[in-house]
Amino acid sequence: MREISDLARELLAQSLAAWALSGRVCAQSNGAILVCCKGMEIRIEAAAPGVPFRWMLSVDGRKRGALSLPAVLRQVRAALDPGYAMSRVRIAALPPVQQ
Amino acid sequence: MIGVLVLTGFLGSGKTTLLRHVLRQPEFSRTAVIINEFGNVGLDHDLVEASTDSLVELQTGCLCCKMRGDLVETLADMLERRDRGAVAPFTRVVIETSGLADPAPIVHTLMTDAGIAGRLALSGVITTVDAVNGLSTLAREQTSVKQVALADRLVLTKSDLAGTAELLDRLAKLNVSAPVAVADRGRIDARVFDIGGAGRVPHEHLHSAHDEDVQTYAIIREEPIHAVTLTLFLETLAEHCGADLLRLKGIVNIMESPQRPAVIHGVQHVFHPPEWLARWPSQDQRSRIVVITRRVPQRWVEALLAALDAEVADVSPTVACAKAR
Repeated sequence: MREISDLARELLAQSLAAWALSGRVCAQSNGAILVCCKGMEIRIEAAAPGVPFRWMLSVDGRKRGALSLPAVLRQVRAALDPGYAMSRVRIAALPPVQQ
Repeated sequence: MIGVLVLTGFLGSGKTTLLRHVLRQPEFSRTAVIINEFGNVGLDHDLVEASTDSLVELQTGCLCCKMRGDLVETLADMLERRDRGAVAPFTRVVIETSGLADPAPIVHTLMTDAGIAGRLALSGVITTVDAVNGLSTLAREQTSVKQVALADRLVLTKSDLAGTAELLDRLAKLNVSAPVAVADRGRIDARVFDIGGAGRVPHEHLHSAHDEDVQTYAIIREEPIHAVTLTLFLETLAEHCGADLLRLKGIVNIMESPQRPAVIHGVQHVFHPPEWLARWPSQDQRSRIVVITRRVPQRWVEALLAALDAEVADVSPTVACAKAR
């Protein structure tokens, strides 16, 4: 099974393509993931043990924690694509009914 | 619960003719009909033979744009009249949209409006496509593309007047999961209108297809998916795709419920709650999620699902305990 960091790196690379952003995503020797796009550098790495996050992001030197990969994606997109307005999922009251 | 069926299709594609035929069938005798016409002089409602008490015409505006409030009010009013015996106790509602309507906002309204929830629920979308003009309309009108992409069923009309092979190929590329029925001069087996519930389990199509901006593909997973993964997956799709996620339907093998698969349905960022089937409908117990999108790459969706499930597995107590053993 692939490591989470490999899957996260692949997800970030595919995310740039999905968001129509040109840039690159690479692995660093210490296991961190580096996203370079629009002149910015975003570094993503596993959070240190004992902190209440799974991931730490460093966006142009400013550090933030993220609880999960969706939170990582949210922060990366907010940094790279600030004009994008995210939709919140809405759940219908009921499943579809059989007629 | 009363099911609401949305009948859509571009201008002149035969919606009213089809509806007129279906309403003549005995099993549709207790159907309330809402017809949305765009323009000052409505005609379609005169062409549909239904009880005048249970037929409502919404005119001079398009349901998808400015009349969503009117739709909810109309539905609530119909229910109120039904409750006090002023109209026959209808058991289903059909909404015929205007030919220019984007069905997505109408579907959203039916799925989420608190005013009608509990009494009415969406049962599905049927889209008519005209064999004579369908191809050119799809090439020219994005609304027509969206009407096809959102359909649970497609009905090909006027097929006696034109060849259908090229059009059928195009429809399969736009919406690989919707079965296509062919109407014969407006006549069709009324069972085409029987959709909803577990009957909406997507058909399996392993190939992907694309048509300019609109793409249809199937995400297949052999391994069961954690329930939390599914929640995160749908949330993240909604956040990052929004209106570009035209439609999503799937049958999912949930790790915590191996014998009872979950059926999921969504339109843009609005999803039905998962429906749990009593059992697998076939031997195939893989998760199969059909996605219809505008410019959302399949590789991103696959990478998202794989990464989320790996992360959830990493923090799952079940997996942690198994590792410890």
